[in-house]
Amino acid sequence: MSMQREEKALDAALDAFSQRLNDLKQSIGQTLQKLEAGHEHMSWPSLLDSFALLSGQLNNLLRVLKNEKTPLLRNRVTLPLLLSPERDEQLVRLTEGRVPAFAHDLVPHYLRTKHDPMVEERLQMVESKAASISADAAQKQVTAMNKVVNNLLDTIQQSREDWESESARAQLSQTSSVADTQQLIAAIGTVPQVNKAPSSIKTNIKANIQTHPYK
Amino acid sequence: MIIMGFSTLQTFPLIEGLTGPQTLDVLHKRITALGARVSGQFVVDCETYFSAPSLLPGNSQRVLNVLHNTEEPASVFAILEGGAKQPVLVADTLLDALLPKMAVLYTSNKKQTRIESKGNRYEMGDFVVKLGSVTMSGSFKGILVEVCYLACVVPALCWEMVWEFMQSFLGSTVPSTLPPYIQSRQNATFSPTDTIQMYLEKFNEFRKQTVAR
Amino acid sequence: MCAAISAQEKLQAAMQHKIVPNQEYLLQGSVLDSSKDVLIHRLRGLADNVDEQVETFQDRERVLTLGPVSGQTLTLYVRQAMDVRPGMDQSDTPWTMRYIGQPELGDKSRPTVLRNSIDVGCTPNVLEFLSEMGFKQDYEFMCKGLMFRKGRMKILVYKVYKNKTADNWEPLSMSHVVELSVLAPQGHDAVAEDVRNFAEQLKPLVQLEKTDYRRL
Repeated sequence: MSMQREEKALDAALDAFSQRLNDLKQSIGQTLQKLEAGHEHMSWPSLLDSFALLSGQLNNLLRVLKNEKTPLLRNRVTLPLLLSPERDEQLVRLTEGRVPAFAHDLVPHYLRTKHDPMVEERLQMVESKAASISADAAQKQVTAMNKVVNNLLDTIQQSREDWESESARAQLSQTSSVADTQQLIAAIGTVPQVNKAPSSIKTNIKANIQTHPYK
Repeated sequence: MIIMGFSTLQTFPLIEGLTGPQTLDVLHKRITALGARVSGQFVVDCETYFSAPSLLPGNSQRVLNVLHNTEEPASVFAILEGGAKQPVLVADTLLDALLPKMAVLYTSNKKQTRIESKGNRYEMGDFVVKLGSVTMSGSFKGILVEVCYLACVVPALCWEMVWEFMQSFLGSTVPSTLPPYIQSRQNATFSPTDTIQMYLEKFNEFRKQTVAR
Repeated sequence: MCAAISAQEKLQAAMQHKIVPNQEYLLQGSVLDSSKDVLIHRLRGLADNVDEQVETFQDRERVLTLGPVSGQTLTLYVRQAMDVRPGMDQSDTPWTMRYIGQPELGDKSRPTVLRNSIDVGCTPNVLEFLSEMGFKQDYEFMCKGLMFRKGRMKILVYKVYKNKTADNWEPLSMSHVVELSVLAPQGHDAVAEDVRNFAEQLKPLVQLEKTDYRRL
């Protein structure tokens, strides 16, 4: 019973997934066509629209993957049942001419779940080297590394925020204005009491600057 | 379902030697003997809020009555008393969620002021009759009878006929004139807010009786 | 035959079970008039009402306050639809009064502003009624713009007008307000994430952010 239910959930998830993938594929195709055929008289907003659409569809795709009802796909195995060097017309049609035959030289590439043997060999080397260190020493190294990385991450994130807010401000001059936003929202305002204490605003900002950890 | 029509409301005194429920039972028997059948239950309730003493200039006070009627399940009726006019606001049911937000400005003592009329709803041809047992803060206060005639919306045009119908089961208790609130509007089109106004009029009478005792 | 339950009891039950949509998840921003059409174009592509005509609105909004009594006031936003739809009379156009609670900004991890919002539809005599109750008008403004939908999300792009004299409405600033919101029952915080994701897709055209009202 539970097996059947799982099967059903898997089918539904795969259907949803392939539908989203198809949407995405189509949009990518359209964007490419737009770029190739009409790049001379293509406008910036229209390109942005295309990208916004792609980003929206990627979001949809990820949402299907992350959905609680989607079974864990990585727990699944894909097994090729029949290989054939003969040209398969149905397969050609299904893949839009990309795969002419389900043959020995192609299948390993499409269904590969392991690394290249050469890569695998090198990985093995690294792993055996890692295993030679005592667990205790390894743990210490990990802790030290984590600390460094976390510090670095904080710094990068902080710079990124600073940079983004600056570049955002630069961008704003083109399509929107912070001053206008504030004026408009104050005008349709929701909390009239806030208008009563204008003097506190300056001190607030100052206090924030003083406590800023990276300046 | 939109029920148009004209409603009138009156109190029915307890029959000598009988309790409220017993009196209602007598009415139930009379009206079912006439051929009416029970078509469900109804409630009209009223919650009252008083403006805070310093809210309005000159220490004047407003009384905000909020009423519900199962006949109009999607609406809440608010009637404001105490001013020159007595405006009625009809709102959707979310008004009930808004009232607690003004708790300090308009206060209510729910235990003491809540009053409702609740009971059986009967249908008989073009008539709808509601026999309500009135309770205020949980104790029985009296009986209210609402009679609605669905086929007419102008009180003056159908009052006599409604009066005759009412006499058939309420006897000599039926007043010969329209309820005070309707008297000045007897040639106008009747609306659900008029029904609510009459209920408020009667509820206020019940409250005054309580104060007098 | 069912027992008669009063409407008030039903609402109370609904509030207790947290199914009354009275929480608003909100992000606000603005777009310069010159870039408005680009935004509209983008929204047409992203929102649900792609195929249909985009819904327009024009509302006159009056802000009324009651109190103070012991430091407490109550502010209501009374909205009157000014655009008469086909088959409707000006006297039929809906009026609403709206309560908006203190906005909660939360910390950085909270994607949107959260505020209590109760929208009550009512009869057109609401202004007279509130004035009898003791409400005083603080100010008023007019909003005119477009409405888009994306799932449960509502996206508004509108111009704000102020009046110096009774019927002389002048546009405020050279920008349109952009608002992204979802009304949901209490505890539906997951929708806030959808709001943030949608706002991300409108960058850098508009910066939709949590408005810090203390900073205005």
